[in-house]
Amino acid sequence: MNIGTRKILDRSFTAVGIGSIIVMALALMVVVVPIVSNGIGAVFFTGTVEHRKMLRNEFQRGDTQHLASEVASSERYRARVYEILGTFEKELEGMEPALKRQYTSKYAQTRTAIQALLGPLPGDTTPMLTRFKYGQTRWEKAEEKLHDLLYESKWDNSNSEIMGKEYFVSRSNAFKGTSLAPLFPYMKSNIEKMLLPEFTVYWGFITDSSVDSHFFGGIWPEIQGTFFLAMGAMLFAFPLGVIAAVYFTEYARPGFLNSMLRSANSTLAGVPSIVFGMFGLAFFINTLKVSESKSVLAGSLTLAIMILPTIIRAAEEAILAVPKTYREASLSLGSTKWNTIATVILPAALPGILTGGVISLGRAAGETAPIIFTAAVSVGSAIGLADVFSSPTPALSWNIYNLASEHEAAAQLRHVQYGMVFALVTIVLLLNLSAIVLRARISKKMKG
Amino acid sequence: MAEKSAVERSRSTVFVVSARKRMLNKIAKTAGEGLLFALASFVAVIVIFIFFFVARDAVPFFQLRGFTEFFTSSNWYPADEPGQFGALAIIYGSLMVTLGSALIAVPMGVAAAICLSDILPFSVRQYAKPVIEMLAAIPSVAFGFFALVVLAPLMQNSGGTMLMWAWWLLVSPFLLLAVIVASDLLTTSIQDEKRRHNRYMLFVTFFGFISLALLFTVGTLLNGIQIITGTNALNVSIILSFMALPTIVSVSEDALQAVGRDIREGSYALGATRAETIIKTILPAGSSGILAAVILGIMRALGETMVVWMASGNSSHIPDPWFNYLEAIRTLTATIAGDMGEADQVTGSARFHVLFAMGFLLLLISFISNFVSERIVIRQRRILSGQ
Repeated sequence: MNIGTRKILDRSFTAVGIGSIIVMALALMVVVVPIVSNGIGAVFFTGTVEHRKMLRNEFQRGDTQHLASEVASSERYRARVYEILGTFEKELEGMEPALKRQYTSKYAQTRTAIQALLGPLPGDTTPMLTRFKYGQTRWEKAEEKLHDLLYESKWDNSNSEIMGKEYFVSRSNAFKGTSLAPLFPYMKSNIEKMLLPEFTVYWGFITDSSVDSHFFGGIWPEIQGTFFLAMGAMLFAFPLGVIAAVYFTEYARPGFLNSMLRSANSTLAGVPSIVFGMFGLAFFINTLKVSESKSVLAGSLTLAIMILPTIIRAAEEAILAVPKTYREASLSLGSTKWNTIATVILPAALPGILTGGVISLGRAAGETAPIIFTAAVSVGSAIGLADVFSSPTPALSWNIYNLASEHEAAAQLRHVQYGMVFALVTIVLLLNLSAIVLRARISKKMKG
Repeated sequence: MAEKSAVERSRSTVFVVSARKRMLNKIAKTAGEGLLFALASFVAVIVIFIFFFVARDAVPFFQLRGFTEFFTSSNWYPADEPGQFGALAIIYGSLMVTLGSALIAVPMGVAAAICLSDILPFSVRQYAKPVIEMLAAIPSVAFGFFALVVLAPLMQNSGGTMLMWAWWLLVSPFLLLAVIVASDLLTTSIQDEKRRHNRYMLFVTFFGFISLALLFTVGTLLNGIQIITGTNALNVSIILSFMALPTIVSVSEDALQAVGRDIREGSYALGATRAETIIKTILPAGSSGILAAVILGIMRALGETMVVWMASGNSSHIPDPWFNYLEAIRTLTATIAGDMGEADQVTGSARFHVLFAMGFLLLLISFISNFVSERIVIRQRRILSGQ
């Protein structure tokens, strides 16, 4: 081959390698950036007066007097809407039956759209579900709903070759000539005065519990549940893992038994996470009956088994990294083997062991599959520390799945889902970052 | 004299250990070590327990329904009365996304591992490693959420265009390279420098036009594709490949680092370029370690639950044609996760036990592949240290 071609091949080989690392970094960015940018929106957003009403009624927060004046000023503009609706209802009564039938269903749609935007209209019975008690609490949602009010969405299926296309028909045209017609331009021009959007920082998203299955409120029960589960798993797995690592590094003699134990460890590390969940269900709940049904305890035990191999490996590496001179110095001073391990080796290996522990904590917090059958419920309030032995808990990872895939209004609650994912990713990545920083400091210290 | 020896004697008694004390020490030592061993062997006990308890609930299914239906039928109607439990389509779905993610992750992962171990300077490597670790740390449900909420709508709305861009960006550099190499190889036998050059240019233009035509036709073909559903096998394969990548990269990097410096230097001394050194000497020497890395990475993709559950469409049928990655599929893990909630109510039914049969299948595959990859790593270590 030509030397030039060989050079080109060499360069492009390098380019492929660097390219794939760049693609990996880009993938990380592509996944993390939308989660962060949309997740922040759960706490920082433009809230409407409905949001402040909700906070006042559900969480007893906010300045009552200021709210009352805001509500009064928004009601001044809303009154005109109610007036138009009332006039049209009267007009509808007096219409001929054919015309009346034509308008009734369209009017009902319009009325529902206004309810979604502004909350229950005067004369409505108080709704059972909290989600219908308020109008749009977030301004960007309100703008979407305003569009829904102004335009009716229809699907064009005329071309059977391609998928149907959505198009919009103005509602005000449908009501041309009736007393409802002025409603649409009025809504369009006065929506801000009716909803009073204002930049809001809602820390309650982190510290409040949810109202009406995450329509309002925050994610505290999930954060707490994740914390309980992960901490519980560490409580079981960390001591056991460190002891096992001490045995493997200091006491185990090479041989059949030892290699079997090591094989068992790597087998455990490779078991699919969903199988841990099945095992937790079959063993901890159905056989040992550690609790009646799902509980934090059963979930923690399952997660503990899952993270055990990681902890053992990390602790082993940390112990092996302790310089031999430490050991020899301690032994030459006359201390016993056990003394050496407890007072010299373990303290020296501690930062490394902790690094492994922190990473495992992150893994336990982020895993979903093992807790589906053993610990997680989709709705529920925060549980007390005394309940961990008997009651299940909501957890971030499970509730993200549940809210995004199974909730009846999944598409409306994207901001809550993003907020949850952001919270989970932040927790896990912060744990990992601290582990990375810790490890960098250790290696710097080891170098001297 | 006598006085001195008395002092010595009294001193030496401090260090003399009585038989009784020695025995106590010995017992304590054995007991302590025994306790440590018991705690350490807890891991092995757990592994045996996992096998036992999953198998215990899996066996009744095969007793009730036999093996034939499970492995050969693709009629999956567990809720019917009587239920049908053909898992062929589900097993196929699992294999399909695993293969798809391996096709993406293995070349990328091995390339990245080579880059980290042999090409990049240490200062850059320091920043690349955390990126890979962070990618490994992101919870699977976050990836699943991304696949469902961001990637799936994107695919559904502009899937064809995305495929076309991916085709252009990925394939055109490799085609260009192939054209250059092919033309060079075809002209090496010509001795005359000037004639060779002319012939070379001729070949480059000729192959260049062919490959451009290929790029354009396939590109327009891809651009015309309409993806019916964004939650499909391709979506899941892409996401799973990014989840498998960190494992593949870190394990194969270890394998490449284990290949000694002397081999590399020997190759350079013979006049090989870096790429030739890597491909012809380092990769063959580290191949078994890389194979182990690939097996571990594939297992990560096969055992992953949340991403496939959220974004694979969960439709239990074999795509038509069988390699159509743009159709919704269903996997073993997603079936277990999705059906357990309902099947749990009827403990003892075939519907409950079939899920454990699937779990046992997964467990067996993971056990075998783990065993194989571990043997491979041990063998490589032995060969390399033996040289």
